[in-house]
Amino acid sequence: MARQTTGKRKRTLSQQQAAWALLAPFLATYCAFLVYPFFKGVWISLHDWNLLAVAMNPAAAKWVGLHNYVHMLWGRNITWGPLSHPLVQLLALAVLAGAFGLHRAGRLSGRSAIPIAIAALLIFLLLGFTPGEGGRWFDRRFWPTVGNTVLFVALAAPGTTIAALLLAAALNRETRMMAVFRTLFFLSQVLSVTVVTLIWQIMFSPTQGLIDNVIRVFGGSPVSWLTDPHFAMLAIVVTTIWWSLGIAMILFLAGMQDINREIYEAAALDNARGWKSFWFITLPNLKRTITLVVVLQIILHFQVFGQSHLMTQGGPDDRTQVLVRYIYQSAFRDSEIGRASAMAVFLFAIMSVFAVIQFLIGREKSE
Amino acid sequence: MKHLALGLALAAGLASPAAAEPVTVNLARFFGACENAGTDTKTSVGEACIIQSIINAASKEIPDVTVKTLPTDWGNYYDHVKAMFAAGNPPDIFVIHRSSIPEFASLGALADIGPDLKAAGIDTSDWTEGAKKAVTYDGKIVAVPMDFHANLWHVNMDIMKKAGLVKDGKPILPHSPEELLAQAKKVKEATGKDYLAADFSQFPIGVRLVLSLIWQQGSNIFDGDTATIDTPEALNAVKAITQLFDGGYANPKLNYADSQQEFLNGNAAVLVNGTWVVNEYTKQAENPDTGLKDYYVSDFPQLFGQPATWADNHTWAIPSTLKDQHPEKYKAALKVAAFIYNHDADWARTGHMAVRKSVLESKAYRDLPHRAEYVGTEKIAHDTPASPEYSKIQDALNRNLQSIWLTGKDPKKALAEAQNEVQDILDQ
Repeated sequence: MARQTTGKRKRTLSQQQAAWALLAPFLATYCAFLVYPFFKGVWISLHDWNLLAVAMNPAAAKWVGLHNYVHMLWGRNITWGPLSHPLVQLLALAVLAGAFGLHRAGRLSGRSAIPIAIAALLIFLLLGFTPGEGGRWFDRRFWPTVGNTVLFVALAAPGTTIAALLLAAALNRETRMMAVFRTLFFLSQVLSVTVVTLIWQIMFSPTQGLIDNVIRVFGGSPVSWLTDPHFAMLAIVVTTIWWSLGIAMILFLAGMQDINREIYEAAALDNARGWKSFWFITLPNLKRTITLVVVLQIILHFQVFGQSHLMTQGGPDDRTQVLVRYIYQSAFRDSEIGRASAMAVFLFAIMSVFAVIQFLIGREKSE
Repeated sequence: MKHLALGLALAAGLASPAAAEPVTVNLARFFGACENAGTDTKTSVGEACIIQSIINAASKEIPDVTVKTLPTDWGNYYDHVKAMFAAGNPPDIFVIHRSSIPEFASLGALADIGPDLKAAGIDTSDWTEGAKKAVTYDGKIVAVPMDFHANLWHVNMDIMKKAGLVKDGKPILPHSPEELLAQAKKVKEATGKDYLAADFSQFPIGVRLVLSLIWQQGSNIFDGDTATIDTPEALNAVKAITQLFDGGYANPKLNYADSQQEFLNGNAAVLVNGTWVVNEYTKQAENPDTGLKDYYVSDFPQLFGQPATWADNHTWAIPSTLKDQHPEKYKAALKVAAFIYNHDADWARTGHMAVRKSVLESKAYRDLPHRAEYVGTEKIAHDTPASPEYSKIQDALNRNLQSIWLTGKDPKKALAEAQNEVQDILDQ
């Protein structure tokens, strides 16, 4: 046996060699287009790096260490108080107490209670920082932009998940009509962001838009959805939900088709049909799919850019300014690519947290 | 046979050693897309199609030069151009605003074309003083001017007539913030329509309006390295506008497309927008389906001590790297700039103002539709103070003004914040 393999080795590669050979094209691309740019980005973030100036003269980049990070995150005379943002901070404290109480009462496992408690504690601590007397943030727009991004994710991720879940439940039937509907609802997913935002800009237009024309028919006065401070964020959230529904719906449909029919039949004997069977059978069986979809949506929506850039231009008054748009503007409009890279690293850190959560959940499954 | 062909080819090559190789010039511009613009520079309509017809004509008529228009988008134009520079692959010639020249020129990104203009057939003595100033940076000419453009008062005469605001066939202009409000009231009472429309919510038309009103009081937004936004003059300017919103005579939430649509639908007496739409609105008003029938273009009114309206220039620049590294291409790019410059009169059909004295004095120019109505704009045009950080400053102003019109922030507080933000930018 051994002799046979050594005989063959003359002509063929060992398993390990073959593995490397097959992996090489991928690794080369991966390193060239992901690993190298990532470290280059971190490197740039440690410099005062003007895009145009460095293009004209490579020596124009100036090493500044962590200055860009300090400028981004900190300010002058920053003080901490437990009631700087009373509403959110108290809410975070309540969640913290709730998680602790439920855990003690045995209603919440440690595995769920600890992350919730850590998140609540972090929110409580971080929101306690504000500029004191005569103080200010070095970058006035950064934290509000982070806040807008978090708000966007907090609306879009559950919004997409719930909408996709309800749609999937409604379309999970084997008729031809339902197949047509499934295709239709998935169709929006394949459109590019420019097309999607164009469609919705027309929909939301107060002079030509469908929505306002319907409002007018019923005697209401038109709303300027995209420039109204109360509606602009909702408008881009609605657009995003419409756009990203497809993938989530397909994942849910797959999950639902995995559920054993017999459970439903047994439940039907106990008179659990329709809404009841959805609540007591479908939902509990979809728990893993739901977590997966939520985490994927969170990671996806933190990178929101096109909807804000093309529909509201971050306005009105920065109410829909999001992190990636701020990074883009800092890098290209303002040529401050050093600062932009620091922000990109910050965004990377946030998204890694959720990627780790997803990894942990995935591991749990295989246990 | 083979030898004969080879010999002929060699002979041809030897006979004309200087025969120019065909050169492709990559051109970047905004103004929007126009497909099938053709090469007729006299009949095309609207900014996008007029410029593209001139470019197409350049490509066709300049021997051995092909012009390729790069796809760029209006909103992200400068970002795109900067990215091309950063990638070491800038366009061979590109349109640039006067207000953006300092940002590029201060880094040495623009070629010093002054010494080569004469050879390219461009006579700088024909330039207006304003045009010369616009393209001169640090004593060097870094671009070829194409136009100067400014904010205008686009008027729907039917509405003004109904409100009794027309005299001798001209709209009566307000001379103070109080008169502005009184006119708005009259229009509302007589017609139920809005007095004024403009994009106060996205594109910086609102900023330009406020700038004009600040300049009319002899003030400015910054002086050297000091921001001067938190001033009584700026507050006056802002209040002249907010009084219209408070009275329900204007809607601050309309964006560019919607405010334009309101005006064209005949729902607003006045639209504040630039020179670039005169040709297009004239054509629109001829269409019986358009709400706007009787269109008039007026100079921006003087509400305070001195006249002023926001103005800027469109100019064409060539990267310095092209001049240093590709002299043949540089020559070709200059030829394209000269061709566009020589079609200044055609470009002026958009509604923009010419930068050549000879064109300004020509009858064809003076006879352009509505031209006589806003000829005074030339004298009241006011430029933004030059700064490499201008786009940032404009954005900071735009956001803080939006917070006044759109989110109801106290104007004093918003101006104080704008002052801080702009000071930060100037301090960098």
